[in-house]
Amino acid sequence: MSLQITNLRKRFGETQALDGITFGVEPGQVFGFLGANGAGKTTTMRIVLDILRADSGTVTWQGRPSTDLPRRTFGYLPEERGLYPRMQVLEQLVFFAGLYGVPRKTAAAEVRGWLARFRVPEYADRRAEELSKGNQQKIQFIAAVLHDPDVLIMDEPFSALDPVNVALLKAAFLEMRERGKTLIFSTHQMETVEELCDAVAIIDAGRLVANGATADVKRASGKRVVRLGVAGDPELPWLADLDGVRVGRAGRDYSEIEVVPPRDPETILHAAIEHGERVTRFEIADPSLEQVFVDLVGRQAAPDEERTLAHLPANGRA
Amino acid sequence: MRVRVANVATIARREYLVRARTRSFKAATIFLVVAAVLVTLAPLAVRWLDRDSTARVGVHVSTTLAFDPIARLGTTVNLPATPGGRGPFTFSAVSDPTAGRDAVAKGDLSALLDVTRDPAGALAFTIVSKDGPTLRIPTLLRQGSSVLATTDRLLRGGYPADKLDALGVPPSVVVVGPTPAKPGEPPKDLAGEIAGSLTGQALVIFLFIAIVLYGQWVAMSVAEEKSSRVMEIVLNAASPFELLAGKVLGVGALGLTQYGVAIIPAGVAILLQDRIASLLLGQTAASAAPAASGLTPPLLIAFAVLFVLGFLLYAVLYAAAGSLVSRMEDINSVVAPMTMVGMGGYLVALYTSSGLIPADAGWVVVLSFVPFVSPYLMLSRFATGLAGPLDLALASALLVVAIVACLWVAARIYAAGVLTYGQKPSARALFTAAFAHRG
Repeated sequence: MSLQITNLRKRFGETQALDGITFGVEPGQVFGFLGANGAGKTTTMRIVLDILRADSGTVTWQGRPSTDLPRRTFGYLPEERGLYPRMQVLEQLVFFAGLYGVPRKTAAAEVRGWLARFRVPEYADRRAEELSKGNQQKIQFIAAVLHDPDVLIMDEPFSALDPVNVALLKAAFLEMRERGKTLIFSTHQMETVEELCDAVAIIDAGRLVANGATADVKRASGKRVVRLGVAGDPELPWLADLDGVRVGRAGRDYSEIEVVPPRDPETILHAAIEHGERVTRFEIADPSLEQVFVDLVGRQAAPDEERTLAHLPANGRA
Repeated sequence: MRVRVANVATIARREYLVRARTRSFKAATIFLVVAAVLVTLAPLAVRWLDRDSTARVGVHVSTTLAFDPIARLGTTVNLPATPGGRGPFTFSAVSDPTAGRDAVAKGDLSALLDVTRDPAGALAFTIVSKDGPTLRIPTLLRQGSSVLATTDRLLRGGYPADKLDALGVPPSVVVVGPTPAKPGEPPKDLAGEIAGSLTGQALVIFLFIAIVLYGQWVAMSVAEEKSSRVMEIVLNAASPFELLAGKVLGVGALGLTQYGVAIIPAGVAILLQDRIASLLLGQTAASAAPAASGLTPPLLIAFAVLFVLGFLLYAVLYAAAGSLVSRMEDINSVVAPMTMVGMGGYLVALYTSSGLIPADAGWVVVLSFVPFVSPYLMLSRFATGLAGPLDLALASALLVVAIVACLWVAARIYAAGVLTYGQKPSARALFTAAFAHRG
């Protein structure tokens, strides 16, 4: 009983945007949906929401095809942010909720509650065009949750937010999880994914390259990370003589060293002692999601560029 | 495809309220109201301003006459249009014809009527005027000249001078059409037919303006929503079909409101025109508004039906067109084909009701049932009495079929169009996309 995405395929002209994507999201999970620009994240989300139809493949929630589900099952925060610029915040949120059948009074009370939680109660009567980008984004988040959807799908919800607002939004995420909601979001902030997500899926060029519990995905790479701190010179020149070892991050306090099998991470400790280093810190850990992502996709998960019409790919894929 | 009426209503409501609140809408409505009333009352105002203006005409007589020519002209061609009013001319005697010509040249006189006698003894006339011989003043003066010549001949032939005035009493004249009235039917009312065709022309013009104006609103509203990117949020909640229908209905209702607000004062002005005219111009200034007398209840119903159906048909397509552009500037080019088709129907309808194209020509009759042009052509044929309620019903039924078909296609184009940014819409791409998206 979950959101099950099975073998989705979608072609736009010459481009195969999705090439057999399959994964599942358990109810109540916070799920990270990751991929580089143009990997097919937005297309997948639009198909799940039945805004777009797949060429083949199915999407089901609790066993029912998404095309048969009531629209209020899903809340959606699209990547392309937009509000009615000249409409008051309260009025347009009540309008959006009305489309899902929420009575005006209930919606208005909910809106005021959310605005207070986001510490912007005075925005109710402002016009959307008067708000900053970050604040418009909060309004859009409210638009996505106002009708109390079971599944919340968000495309880059943290982009354009300052740290204070990121914290507010994270708190809202956790509250939604407390309420038993399922949250799916894409982001390029891997630390956020590690912090919030129970499970992830990584796609590249329309194909799934990793999927599972966040910890499992990190471990599945087989790589380990050793954090080694020594007294004195932190250069560690002797590391260059070891196979299957790469310095990921060299710092004064400690260095982060990627260890590729078959090398055993503990051999690094032995080597350090052999070279007369005084070890102050030694820690074996999973690689960061960032590292796993780079290994799988071959590049970093850069933030999506500001979309202008001129820059959009001709096939509309994103 | 399941359509949630509540969503359509919610979308229509937003569309209506948000647009109605804008300053530009209020300003345009006030402007329209003022303009409509002014246009309606303009002919009356012209007549009122003209009520005392007469053309000054000098009369020079270089022969002996047995009667006063100015008095004679006064009781024949210079009759006032309304009792108690003035005739079109103020005549004055001119002793020097050269001075009279100069006065005409300078504009002090509108014309000079020079009366001489030829060697055979008959009166001869010269009309000095800046106007050509077919214009109003020379034409009236030519009639006056023949009155003077006839009077002269009668008096010289021995007709009693005291019976001259009785000669001028106008005879009874009736103008009728060539087809005799059927037994039991009142005689055909030519004036009514002319009024009908005038009314038809006016209504066709109103219809065209409304469809183009409010159709553009629909297209702009769609493009606006698309360029502000709010579309995707709405699309998760409502189907493209609901969005399309709500938009068309909301903008349509607003258009009707604005139209009503503008047309009601104008209508009242038309209905009161006779009364205003008699107040301003005297008791019998009748038939001030020939168009108003042709505005019968059946015609008004036909107008309302064709207005609503015609607007719906075009608005649906304008919405689909609006969904294809990402920038407001591109709207005009995508709606151009529809505007051209509408313009074609509109022009044929205008030419038909003004008689330039015979209204009973076969192709006009056929076109008056073809959706897209039928709103205009059926309206003009109905107004002139050439089409009856059955024709109207058939044309309306065909329009409804066309609206349903266009909705089906438009909702698909719309569904495909609203999510594609930055692409030049090619016909083939659209066709493919239209069938890959949910409707």
